[in-house]
Amino acid sequence: MALLEVKKLSVGYNTKKGFLKAVEAVSFSLDEGRSLGFVGESGCGKTTLGMALMGLLPPNGHVTDGQIIFEGEDLLEKSEDEMRKFRWRKISMIFQAAMNALNPVKRVQDQIAEAILTHNPNLETKEALRRVEKLFQLVGLPEGRMRDYPHQYSGGMKQRAIIAMALSCNPRLIIADEPTTALDVIVQHQILEETRDLQKELDLSIIFISHDISIVADVCDTIGIMYAGQLVEYGSREEVFDDPMHYYTRALISSYPTLTGEKRELLPIPGESPNLIEPPLGCRFCDRCHASGDSCSIGPPEWVDITPTHKALCGLCLK
Amino acid sequence: MECWSNGCTIMDNEKKTVLELRDISKIYKTRSSFFGPGGEQVVALNRISLTIYKGEIFGLVGESGSGKTTAGRLIVGLENPKEGEIYLNSTEISGLKGRALKEYRRKVQMIFQDPYQSLNPQLSIYESVAEPLIIHKIGGGVERLERVIQTLKTVGLSPPQEFLYRYPHQLSGGQRQRVAIARAMVLGPEFVVADEPTSMLDASYSAQIFNILLNVRDKLKVTILFITHNLAAARYLCDRVGVIYKGNLMELGPADEVIQNPKHPYTQALIDAIPKFGHCGEIREYKTFLRPQRKASEGVGCPFFKRCRKADETRCRIDVPPLRAVEDSHYAACFFAEPGHEKRPESDACLLGI
Repeated sequence: MALLEVKKLSVGYNTKKGFLKAVEAVSFSLDEGRSLGFVGESGCGKTTLGMALMGLLPPNGHVTDGQIIFEGEDLLEKSEDEMRKFRWRKISMIFQAAMNALNPVKRVQDQIAEAILTHNPNLETKEALRRVEKLFQLVGLPEGRMRDYPHQYSGGMKQRAIIAMALSCNPRLIIADEPTTALDVIVQHQILEETRDLQKELDLSIIFISHDISIVADVCDTIGIMYAGQLVEYGSREEVFDDPMHYYTRALISSYPTLTGEKRELLPIPGESPNLIEPPLGCRFCDRCHASGDSCSIGPPEWVDITPTHKALCGLCLK
Repeated sequence: MECWSNGCTIMDNEKKTVLELRDISKIYKTRSSFFGPGGEQVVALNRISLTIYKGEIFGLVGESGSGKTTAGRLIVGLENPKEGEIYLNSTEISGLKGRALKEYRRKVQMIFQDPYQSLNPQLSIYESVAEPLIIHKIGGGVERLERVIQTLKTVGLSPPQEFLYRYPHQLSGGQRQRVAIARAMVLGPEFVVADEPTSMLDASYSAQIFNILLNVRDKLKVTILFITHNLAAARYLCDRVGVIYKGNLMELGPADEVIQNPKHPYTQALIDAIPKFGHCGEIREYKTFLRPQRKASEGVGCPFFKRCRKADETRCRIDVPPLRAVEDSHYAACFFAEPGHEKRPESDACLLGI
């Protein structure tokens, strides 16, 4: 059975200009111990999707349709109190730029212990600190630095502390939203490597959100490409990379500079993504797509199954 | 390898030096604080020498804190070096004053990292791009408008009339960065420093910015110093690159050569760190990065000694390897980079004793 199954999830925000459909009819499933990555440009709804899974949408955000089934239970039917118990113990999240959200006047060990104690009220502080020590070993932080304050840490160490905090209550699923964006290449590489090792060691499931397709491909078995609130392609990373079907995926890959092989001209994606308050009727990418025809803008595109595990939301992709 | 972009290779015989850094050092002192005495010295740049030729895009690659931004700031004159000289077209810049300094500032422009912070939110796009013209008293109303429109076209904001009276908050990140480029280009500079112009942008917008930089180089004949931490971007954009670590120039050479055939263990570590998937073909793994780091005394030996798996306990700990030619126009500051000095990385077993 899948650990997480999301069915036709739609999320929107009330804004001054109208109702913004940030995520529309996104479906996917994630098995135990697997990793899934969502890639898309800013504003495509990937962070909203993560927040909706955690039940942490801002007050003007609502899930308008769909189901989020985790271990057989629909999370959307749970009350806020039930969700609070659920969060962090079952699903935890590494928020975007979370390393800057560490409390500067509290020792790192106390901040992580606080997370443990909040969710396990019966635990003693001593025991929680012992657990922090284990977490430090797990994420590769020297135990001698437990009593330090966040400003004494480098960026990579802070990010490790945040990962330790996300792991503190032994969750089954971690949602990581751009966890390495502010880090240097070498530190990023280390963190990604460690994330992969941790995932294997603890048999975790991971949902990885990033705008950088190469980082997602480094960590995830399965990749979902998002564009303007919709999932537009979904498949194993080999399928999506070696045989991209949606024209947006192809454009994304060809706008990326490579290290080896022939130096080819990068083709930027022209134009801007559409307004999601009144999204276009047909394919949302068709204004920026060089292959689009008249039929693309008339009605919504249908999913095309390329292989049993690979599908794309594009009417032209097999032609 | 064949070159697909026009004018991307400069023949040796037409090389003309535009900018030269000679033994530049920059040292910052920490301020004394409530908790501590301060006065610690941080070496941001350590005796860097560089020559940049007319019409090339030179990439300065390194991690944050390596001193690459400091180098850019020294060149545009936002700060002064502690030691060494900077020459633009053979004129030393530290002595410039008054009108000559203003003229230098017209010729040398900078594109900053974050277009969300570098544009004044209260100025329309026209006002932002025309401001440098007003400061340098160039042209009258009509001519300024024409120049602004022309520059907006060059950076791919078309039709320009649609953007003139918009404000930064109405633009996407990619469009803002193009306005920032227009602002730097409107004065017709000779030299532009682009400090990580795509690091705040989505990957899909980066390609646009890269192509615009290539385009302005070809069209307006500007020379560009491109500061980045992304080697793949440097390979795409740059003719030559310099790799910098803790304020020291470690490797210097033609971009393709340095990336396909890196000589310095630090460059090799940078290449190892790039996500591999999706790059066509096999990428060699060098495994030169050492974890956990070695102990070393400050101020002596190779700057990369602590982190280098190849390092020699006796030599690299004490001596600073000079930047020396390993091949034609390819330089590296490593004892093992020179021909005949290839050394295999030590095995993990040997490292346990350190």
